[in-house]
Amino acid sequence: MIYFLMGVGLTIIFGMMNFVNFAHGVFYALGAFICYQVIQVTGSYWIGLILTPILIGAVAYILEKILITKLYRVDHAVQILITIGLMLIIREGILIIWGTVPKPVATPSILQGVIFLGDFVYPKYRLFIIAISAGIGLGVWYLLERTRFGITIRAGSENPKMVSLLGVDTDRLFALTFVFGVALAGIAGALLAPIRGADAFSGDEALGIAFVVVVIGGMGSFSGALLGGLIVGLVQSFTAILWPEGTKVMIYSVMALIILLRPNGLFGKA
Amino acid sequence: MNTLSKFLIGCASAVALGAPAVQAEDKELTINIVASMSGAFANFGLQAEKGARLAIEEAGEAAGMTLNMVVIDTESNAGKGARKVQADLSEHGPGIYVGTTLSSTALAVGQAVHDAGGVYINGGGADELTGEKCNASMYRWSAPTYGAVNASLRPVLEAHPDIKRVYTITPQYVFGEAMLSNAKTVLEEQGIEHVGNSYHSLKDKEFSGFIAQAQAANPDLLILLNFGSQAAASMQQAVNFGLKDRMKILMVWSSGLDTMQSLGSDVSDGVYFGAQYWHEEEAAGNQSLVALTQAKLGEAPNYPLASYYQMTKIMIDAVNATGGADPDALKAHLAGYSYDGITGTETVAADNNQVEKNFYLLLGKDAASKADENDFADVVSKGKFFLSAADAGCVK
Amino acid sequence: MLTKTPLFVHFLAAFAIAAVLPMLLPSYVLATEILLFGLAVIGCNLLLGYTGLLSFGQALFFGSGSYFAGLMSIHLNLGIVPTLLITMALGALIAILVGVFAIRRAGIYFIMLTLAFAQLGYYIAFLAEPITGGEDGLLDIQRPALSIPFVAKFEFDSDFSFYALTGAIFIVVFVLMQRLVKSPLGTVLTAIKQNEARAEAIGYNVKLYKIVVFAFSGSVTALAGALYAFMLKFAPLSNIDLETSSQILFMTILGGLGSIYGSVLGSAVFLVASDFFAELWPRWMILLGLLLIFVMLYMPGGVSKSLEDLFAKISAAKDQRGKKP
Repeated sequence: MIYFLMGVGLTIIFGMMNFVNFAHGVFYALGAFICYQVIQVTGSYWIGLILTPILIGAVAYILEKILITKLYRVDHAVQILITIGLMLIIREGILIIWGTVPKPVATPSILQGVIFLGDFVYPKYRLFIIAISAGIGLGVWYLLERTRFGITIRAGSENPKMVSLLGVDTDRLFALTFVFGVALAGIAGALLAPIRGADAFSGDEALGIAFVVVVIGGMGSFSGALLGGLIVGLVQSFTAILWPEGTKVMIYSVMALIILLRPNGLFGKA
Repeated sequence: MNTLSKFLIGCASAVALGAPAVQAEDKELTINIVASMSGAFANFGLQAEKGARLAIEEAGEAAGMTLNMVVIDTESNAGKGARKVQADLSEHGPGIYVGTTLSSTALAVGQAVHDAGGVYINGGGADELTGEKCNASMYRWSAPTYGAVNASLRPVLEAHPDIKRVYTITPQYVFGEAMLSNAKTVLEEQGIEHVGNSYHSLKDKEFSGFIAQAQAANPDLLILLNFGSQAAASMQQAVNFGLKDRMKILMVWSSGLDTMQSLGSDVSDGVYFGAQYWHEEEAAGNQSLVALTQAKLGEAPNYPLASYYQMTKIMIDAVNATGGADPDALKAHLAGYSYDGITGTETVAADNNQVEKNFYLLLGKDAASKADENDFADVVSKGKFFLSAADAGCVK
Repeated sequence: MLTKTPLFVHFLAAFAIAAVLPMLLPSYVLATEILLFGLAVIGCNLLLGYTGLLSFGQALFFGSGSYFAGLMSIHLNLGIVPTLLITMALGALIAILVGVFAIRRAGIYFIMLTLAFAQLGYYIAFLAEPITGGEDGLLDIQRPALSIPFVAKFEFDSDFSFYALTGAIFIVVFVLMQRLVKSPLGTVLTAIKQNEARAEAIGYNVKLYKIVVFAFSGSVTALAGALYAFMLKFAPLSNIDLETSSQILFMTILGGLGSIYGSVLGSAVFLVASDFFAELWPRWMILLGLLLIFVMLYMPGGVSKSLEDLFAKISAAKDQRGKKP
């Protein structure tokens, strides 16, 4: 489920803005650190979880204004290389601010421990993540399908020129979309912090997974991200049991296979 | 395009004329510190560098030469590390090299230093360093996997005779394989059933699958044979899954204080940790390091800091003892050399250049019973377990 | 101005670069590294600069080149020329395999396919520990000698002799690549880069050309990887990882797309700068990030293009002054 959450931000940004964001993963890492910092100050995980997307959204907004906004018209290859530069800057920035030792984030006390489901034991916190991600997924779906903002975004991803001709302020719309997508990565980071801690280098792995999810599902497709997340999760769980060393090999093989069979992913548009 | 080549030639002549080789003053001795200052293991390198600096500043000079510290950043990458050391060797000739904890880097650097005729000490974990891939110029301070497994697993089994079933989690590469085969040997000898093992890759951060497998095997003891942030992450996830209440957990290759600080007392309470170094050791060599670190940095020494301090100090002391920095004289001096180190008495084995030192077994305690903020654990036992050069397969 | 430069001028230029580099640098090792990464960057430039294909999989060719060459030196002991030639052939073969699949998709999906193949290669090298040494890397690699039967046998043990070898190979590849990009093939590649549909419409078999350029890129990059393994006498696993791919890309962009000279310059600037900054400040990669963004935004031609512009301006200014009196 968390895979979906990482992928969905990336796919929204790509779908709406036709923008490939290789810095997506590092925003996930930054989310974990911001959450850690808020907890240090306020002592509450819940405040951390709520403030993280807001703060990271603010960072994204500033970046959009000074850098990203220049990149909408350039080639994907250029976008990729510039956002890799951005990724390096944010990652090293994290190391300067928070030091190089990964920071632990405690699981909130009511979610500690495990739940017995017959013979199967599952940690409460992981169930909580599943529930929250599902909630966020529903929220995003509602936002995209049922609100004016969502309709404009979807229209924009179909035909940006048309939307701007209709008098919509596309600059503002693009900025909002970027902030929204990045905030989703930040939430994913904050949610996973109690499980994996806050680690500056976790962004690379997150980026890889987010891209696999999105490419499998089809770049720019919301339901694609959902399905991609499910497939990656299933492949990961099955190979973890049958051939634990080979999980990554399997995930990338599945991705290559799907691109070759379905040129634009399962739900992608041309 | 000729402009460019002209430019290059211009540059070259300018530099060739303007820079007659500037030689270092003769009364200076450079100690090269090889450490992962950037990249994925930067957290280790930055601490390590502090330790080496402490040792060099403390001594100031050796055999009448002012000590000069040069840091070689491996960027957490064996290829980069080897290349930079090679470049340094070809520029300055054979010298003294200290450091790196990653076995792959240590092996490559060891080969390069040996080919050039320098002297090198490292803190890698793989058995080959003082086994099959040993050479006459490469020393290793840390205990190899054999020592770590024996010094940590044996006392745990003694303390809990009711342990009958053991599950292991292992990173799949040379280091992990060595840890696993050593653990299997101990278990077999004690007649304890090894009910299963999970391999993971060095890039994994998600261990829930492996932990679910461990849980299904229903063992009495779970042994984590990984290291660094992976060890910390798998421990954290095992505790999240509630395994601590159902079995004993042993992390063989922790980095001691570092690991416990990043886990926090909630997780480390009641868990066994193996460690190369523990700052509460009472040996005189350690007490002086603790006082020095406290005075200069205001913190307790952790493993990276302490190990680099000790390795650098061994080299400085050797320079003093031989009255110079001739690599061959240093090597002759180090054979069989015994001294008061930070883990008690430490001895350099003459036949495979392994430093024989204590390895600790620690038991984490709860936050309430900590005497100070760094008092995460009590020492259960410490011991020295080392293979002879012949058993390790070392032919220098 | 470039198109009319005769081949021997390129030869002289390459010779000058190889002769001058060690004078500018503190060690032969760094000079060797610059030249061999220069080769890898040329390989990347063929794809990105000349044909417009962004490949995230260059490390696959580089890394497998170092494994092939290293394994051959350990197990077969063939001498340097056959070892390198076989490595290049194998590199080309792998590149053709990747190319055949990857070019079936365009844009972001093409990029992700090259990435996926590179990651597969990485995990295979990682898992095939008995062969590749896995995480520890492949150790005990020996530099093969050059033996000319009945005449002489050259060993490449010293840093200087190995640099001479790398330099000689560099000059040959450099001139051949200049020849290649100025040939009709090069023209077609540029046509594909500028407008693929049109090139197709004119009647060029675009797919075939793309596969051919992959093969060239793969063999040159594998050659660079082989030289790197011989230089280190060691093939680290990191040769085949994503970071190596991105570093080769950085160098390519830094030096300038579509320029063989720029390729060498990119490699030199990147390696010297990263050495220099890594010593000064462990967090130097933040500067690399800034530099990357700056170059992409303001110097789309890379360092070589900017230098050329600068020289053009200077000489124009000189001409102006010359005319005044």
